[in-house]
Amino acid sequence: MSLMISQPQINIAAEPRATASFDPPIVRPGEEAFYRVVFDALEESIESPGKLAAPPQLEVQPGAHGQILQMAGGSLQPRTSFNYRVRATSLGTFTLPEFVVKVYDKPVTVPAAQLEVVAEPPATVRPAERLLLEVPVTNLVVGQAVAVRMVLPGLPGGAVQGLGQPQLSGQGFLVDLGAVRQRIEMIRHNGTTLPSYIYETMLTPVATGNLTVMAQGFTAGNRFSGPIVITGAAIIPGAPPQYTLLESDPVVLNVRPLPTEGELPGFTGAIGRLALGQPSLVTNVLRVGDPVKLTVTVTNSGEGPLARLVPPPPPRASDWQVFAASDFAPVQAVPVRQSPRVPQPGAGVRQDAVEGVVTFSYTLIPLVTTVTGTPPIPFSCFDPKTGTYADLTIPSVPVTVRPGAAPANLSAVVQGASAGETERELVLHGLPATRGRTAATLVPPQQQAWFPIMALAPAVAFLGLWSWDRRRRYLEQHPEVVLRRRARRALRRQWRILQRAGRAADGPRFAAAAVSAMRVACAPHYPAEPRALVGADILPLLPEPDRLGQPGKVVRRFFEVTDAANFGTRPPNPADLLPLRPDLERVLQQLEDRL
Amino acid sequence: MMTRRVTPDTSPLVVRPSAFGFRASFGLRISVFGFLLAPVLCLSVFASSPDSFFQSGVTAYRAADYARAAVDFRQSVSLQPASGALQALGNAEWQQRRTGDAILAWEQALWLDPFNQAARENIRFARKVEQIEGPELAWYEVISTWLPVGWWAWIAGGSLWMAVGTGYIPGVLRWRKRTWHQAIAALALMVFLLTIPALLGVQSRARIGFVLQKDTPLRLTPTLEAQAVTRLAPGEPARWVRARGRYILIRTSRALGWVEQGQFGLTCPNAGSRPG
Repeated sequence: MSLMISQPQINIAAEPRATASFDPPIVRPGEEAFYRVVFDALEESIESPGKLAAPPQLEVQPGAHGQILQMAGGSLQPRTSFNYRVRATSLGTFTLPEFVVKVYDKPVTVPAAQLEVVAEPPATVRPAERLLLEVPVTNLVVGQAVAVRMVLPGLPGGAVQGLGQPQLSGQGFLVDLGAVRQRIEMIRHNGTTLPSYIYETMLTPVATGNLTVMAQGFTAGNRFSGPIVITGAAIIPGAPPQYTLLESDPVVLNVRPLPTEGELPGFTGAIGRLALGQPSLVTNVLRVGDPVKLTVTVTNSGEGPLARLVPPPPPRASDWQVFAASDFAPVQAVPVRQSPRVPQPGAGVRQDAVEGVVTFSYTLIPLVTTVTGTPPIPFSCFDPKTGTYADLTIPSVPVTVRPGAAPANLSAVVQGASAGETERELVLHGLPATRGRTAATLVPPQQQAWFPIMALAPAVAFLGLWSWDRRRRYLEQHPEVVLRRRARRALRRQWRILQRAGRAADGPRFAAAAVSAMRVACAPHYPAEPRALVGADILPLLPEPDRLGQPGKVVRRFFEVTDAANFGTRPPNPADLLPLRPDLERVLQQLEDRL
Repeated sequence: MMTRRVTPDTSPLVVRPSAFGFRASFGLRISVFGFLLAPVLCLSVFASSPDSFFQSGVTAYRAADYARAAVDFRQSVSLQPASGALQALGNAEWQQRRTGDAILAWEQALWLDPFNQAARENIRFARKVEQIEGPELAWYEVISTWLPVGWWAWIAGGSLWMAVGTGYIPGVLRWRKRTWHQAIAALALMVFLLTIPALLGVQSRARIGFVLQKDTPLRLTPTLEAQAVTRLAPGEPARWVRARGRYILIRTSRALGWVEQGQFGLTCPNAGSRPG
């Protein structure tokens, strides 16, 4: 409470005021100027001015906005700035009219401001101060840390001032405030070497795509937050600071996702050109149950800084108990062979420049005497330069394990206790290599119109099979049906033969076919072998009146002629039978009707 | 985001064969013309195939252009649903912070292929990150998740007719009855009876869907001015009950209410069009 009371009071103005101005007030056509609106109020209490009612000749884009507290008469006074980037397309004097903004829920009028656009501005008008944002690498992968710096160039006279509330604005990245360094040194800017204020920090993208980063900060005069290194001659003004909100041009970072192909075991997000030192144990002669510390260093020789490395998780080994590195050391600076991390314009970074070193420590306990080396600890990193994963597995260190005071079943006890800790950490899996199992539709087959038909098709087949079986059994019980059917087929066959023979006036063939037709038509009625039948067997099957009539005569005549042809000494002329064809066909019709 | 695809130029189709200078015979002209046309036709067919859209989506995803990747994966899935393509679509939607669409796509991937472990773990990951519960499944629905949904109907039909056939055909064909005939018939009948709950599970799981939009209001009545019972998180599961106009009645684990059709996606897209 006393600490809170001892803090200076924040002065909330009863009647907040606003100022508006162009920086610089006179520009060339196409030259960028900043339209700056400043309120003496807290930023949260100001309704955003939104889109300004600017003349059509002025192209206005919203810029940075921020708040700083300045000491005024023993209390802190808030000062909130809204920047707009303005570009005029033609000559003339343009006025941004006054407008009203609600501050502390009260209307506050922002006065009008005037911008003069001339072909040749007076030499006394200096261009607007702006920050320079330097990002050495703009093609990054997610998680790849990059050192960035904001530069506030000094004035031509050598005066330089610091930045208040410096920050990187944008979405999709993290800024490591623990890695901030600030210094003043001579750098070359616009052909002149000037003392400049440099603010360095580290940026880590956490989202993919095109990320826009912009630097902003208030000019703070001689007020520096934290230690600062000054190299060379620099004039730091003693006057109270003006707290002008400056900003840089936006920088677009192209951030790609880490590839899933070729990812190696033990990858914990380490990105860079890392190298593994030789792992070392406190002693190589151990006793069962006694802990020993394994230490290994990882050095970074890449372009980017060594970000906060996550050590690989301790492996599960049946003969060892391995604990996570509880005394994991943060990144430690080592003598850097090339001082600036961010390259000077036109100067490259040496590829072998060491940017940092980190130490991983593990506590290992041997559980049996049979082990001869420590378990290897899988570790890997992604090298953005080659676009591949590099294997940095911590190798096994040879040891000699002697019996100790620990019980003999220590291994079983330890492994049993850790069995319940095997739940895997959930991660988002990458893309599959192929389209995988395909289907015509997401709708299951039983909900599709064709499925009932397909499902009932076997039923139709079974029904057909059942019908066939039933018919077969019937025919087995009634063989005469089959005989008559065969007789009908044979009769028709012979009938066709005799018709052809009749048309060809082939008497012998005609007579043979006629007799054969009558025999096959009568055979099922006895039943008998057709060839065994004679004319007397045919006649009883004719109706009573026909037996003695013309049909009977025809039957007898045909049998007589064929018998004489087969067995007689003087064969008759079968051609005499041809005129009997109509009578024969009537007989055959009668015989067919009886089948 | 709309994408525009350049298809191979098919202008050779209108060029007269004689323009190539082959006048030996009509057959020769046709064969040469066909020979020249075949690669063009093959290219145009491949350019609009599910595989080509999938590969295009993979390329866009690797270039972090997730919106285009999602469009390509969706095109691939619309041409032919595939478990891997749906999994990739879920990833692309997830990268765009569209949790509801991502979970729906992953659920559809599992609907087609429950052996897709990556999709299953992605769903678990998303539900853990977004603090969303999964759908509560009845025992017969759990059984239906053991195999791809399309398999159950075929297994049921096949086992039923195998039981019938093994019991009937030996008698028809006058084979001697053997023990293994009866064993197969009994086994097939048992499989058929076991698939019935799974078939029921598929039917009821087809009505499970997921909320697609953030803060989707669950309305008391199917009207625009209806009072909101609660607001649903994207990816929250619910069961389709019935539709009325452009609203559908859904039952979540907490409440029953109406949502707009565009705010809710069914695992089986056509399930909502069938009478309940």
